[in-house]
Amino acid sequence: MLIQPEARPMTKKILLVDDAMMIVMLEKKILAKEGFELITAKDGQEALEKVASEQPDLVVMDVNMPRLTGLEACARLRQDDATRGLPVILVTTKGQECDLEAGYRSGCSDYVTKPIDSVELVTKVRGLLGL
Amino acid sequence: LASSLELPAMPRHTAPGVRLPVLPGQITVCLDSTVLSTVLGSCVAVCVWDSKLQIGGMSHFLLPHHLGRRHGEPGRFGELAVSILIERMTEFGSRAGHLQAKLFGGAALSGTSQARALGTRNVEVARQALAARGIPVVSEEVGGERGRKLIFATDDGEAWVCWI
Repeated sequence: MLIQPEARPMTKKILLVDDAMMIVMLEKKILAKEGFELITAKDGQEALEKVASEQPDLVVMDVNMPRLTGLEACARLRQDDATRGLPVILVTTKGQECDLEAGYRSGCSDYVTKPIDSVELVTKVRGLLGL
Repeated sequence: LASSLELPAMPRHTAPGVRLPVLPGQITVCLDSTVLSTVLGSCVAVCVWDSKLQIGGMSHFLLPHHLGRRHGEPGRFGELAVSILIERMTEFGSRAGHLQAKLFGGAALSGTSQARALGTRNVEVARQALAARGIPVVSEEVGGERGRKLIFATDDGEAWVCWI
């Protein structure tokens, strides 16, 4: 007897970008429970390289990072036809001076604030992935 | 206006009962029974429903105004997004007198006063754009300090919101 394997949706790949390893670990812990494939980068420059090589479905990226900030990296993604539509969630710090408008004008899709709320992050990720 | 601007992909016809996410910057109008969903922080969703044709659409915008530099994504800016949404509804046969709107989002999630004011400004722009076209806002769930998940049924104009 032949048993057909169940059709399973493709796992979505998410790139987590932050120079603070603790934040990346926290995001990993939250999103791994949802079954996403997770890859990481430690700054905006590495994020651009990972986007090109790994082609993630969504990026969760800190704003303040060395070499290339989240805003700059997001703006560069929007300038490239191949990544113009890639959903990007920026991670800002609550209470810290951050220009939300600058984030949106750089082309980000949405944002979350630190300390990261797991429900908020998962809801926004799933919403942007159409899940 | 709409024809001269590059718009995100907009499904015009969908199968009955389809669920469709509306992403930030998107404007979606559906002729068939469709459940539109989105997630909002300081962004605003304008849901417009035609009581006669029983069709509806949603715009999810992030900022009140464009600054004259980027026109590639008009759906990201409130004044343009509402204009395009209404124009799309009109293309499908709607008349302003049959349209009604619901507003959602505009929360103050971030700590700074400037960032907190963004949601308020988004809501205000949506109200002004709708008022300028004589479209009444029949219900709204705006402001606050938490994000929202929104579901909007295009066949009967019903909307559901939950906090996230």
